[in-house]
Amino acid sequence: MQGPLIDTLARQGVTRRTFFKYCATLASLMALPPSAGRAMAEAMAAAPAASRRPSVIWLPFQECTGCTESITRSHSPSIEGLIFDAISLDYQETLMAAAGHQAEEALHNAMKENEGKYLLIVDGSVPLGLDGAYSCIAGKTNLESLKEAAKGAAAIVAMGSCAAFGGIPKANPNPTGAVAVSDIIKDKPIINIPGCPPIPVVITGVLAHFLTFGSLPELDKLGRPKAFYGETIHDRCYRRPFYDQGKFAKTFDDEGARKGWCLFELGCKGPVTYNACATVKWNGGTSWPVESGHGCLGCSEPDFWDGGGFYRALSMPADPLKMAATAAAVGAAAGVAITFANRAKKSSAKAAHETVTLADLEK
Amino acid sequence: MSLEDIRVVVDAGESSPYRADALSGNAPVLLHELAEHVRQLVAAGESTAIDLNALPLTPADLDWLKATLGEGEISVTLHSDGESTLAETACPGIWWVNHHNEQGHVVSRFIEVAFVPELVKAHPEDVKTGLEHLESLIFDLS
Repeated sequence: MQGPLIDTLARQGVTRRTFFKYCATLASLMALPPSAGRAMAEAMAAAPAASRRPSVIWLPFQECTGCTESITRSHSPSIEGLIFDAISLDYQETLMAAAGHQAEEALHNAMKENEGKYLLIVDGSVPLGLDGAYSCIAGKTNLESLKEAAKGAAAIVAMGSCAAFGGIPKANPNPTGAVAVSDIIKDKPIINIPGCPPIPVVITGVLAHFLTFGSLPELDKLGRPKAFYGETIHDRCYRRPFYDQGKFAKTFDDEGARKGWCLFELGCKGPVTYNACATVKWNGGTSWPVESGHGCLGCSEPDFWDGGGFYRALSMPADPLKMAATAAAVGAAAGVAITFANRAKKSSAKAAHETVTLADLEK
Repeated sequence: MSLEDIRVVVDAGESSPYRADALSGNAPVLLHELAEHVRQLVAAGESTAIDLNALPLTPADLDWLKATLGEGEISVTLHSDGESTLAETACPGIWWVNHHNEQGHVVSRFIEVAFVPELVKAHPEDVKTGLEHLESLIFDLS
């Protein structure tokens, strides 16, 4: 484990063991085998000197800066910052000191000097309406900027639900004609990191992977890193045993809610939402929405805003292997006819994780 | 009305996840997995780790697991970016590893199956640096 980064860290009082510990935690969050923690530590510690650090360009489009907030407010800034010490963040409007022409110059220099090698991070969706006039930077539409920056990028990270899937700007009736990065760029590897905002460690994990292995992590069919989006919230939810027992909170202040029962009937989108909140949690591992008593909104899924209402129960529990990305949230729980008991179906569904109806669960 | 006037009740009734003794039944199966890992350690010297945060375990499950594995003879405390404890269980070769952050929260939790956990060993580069320091101490004496 030799190299400039570990020396820099040592000067900052970060020991090798601290770095190992961080990498072990990071590898665990990425569901990588234990040996990967060490491989990561070795690769990142050996990250080359400043002149050769991978260049990262971060373009903000139609967004609320929530994604940047999420990343920069990550719980242990000194350690998360290590990852950023291993890259050269050449353009980030919110974080950079330069403004106006200087900032644009930095962007173009970075693009020119690192052509074909830089990592492009995009947050926000791209409006196509009125020829892109809804969102412009330095007199250029987002569409022009994206195409220009994508040309020389090694890969593109679509950060947050807006860049990944269109997000809230794309919600009905989509007044600006917003689309996702992947709707425009077809000839570059794109990694989607959805979430509103995404979990901070997911971006550092992806960067760590890029630095360690020189490649992007394995992606699912929606372009998301499998390590973080491989399972649903529901699969890893600590309230899952109550779902299996058919114990549901019916309102936010009833006995079930107080006892911490499953929030499925209160509209939790956990069964159809692929994200790592249930294991990584938020605010430095303090809590996460379901632990705080509120169902999952499904913010990391495409078109989550138009899913039929946050407090409407999914029409059916999901089979995570077969379920489409968005749930057809038809009919509130109250409207589901409970006609017969079906214990056999319930227990076999538990084993096979098949689709069952609410009626099956309530018996 | 102030916030304090709103009564917050956490019901620790039977089978509540807030209840200290709510077991999910997921912990006992881990013992079988551990046994297999220990066999591999003995046979091939292969060390491994189980990531406890990645498994659906309740606080009670973790307590049960910890109590069942028991306490061994040795426990190592690492002071770096928050405390980490690496404690051998009553089954030698099985270590309970807790990493805390500076605020004292557990950030990751492993059961490591190894003769000595990786983190405990000194890295050769660090040993070299230590030797230089030692030599400078000796030089100062003369």
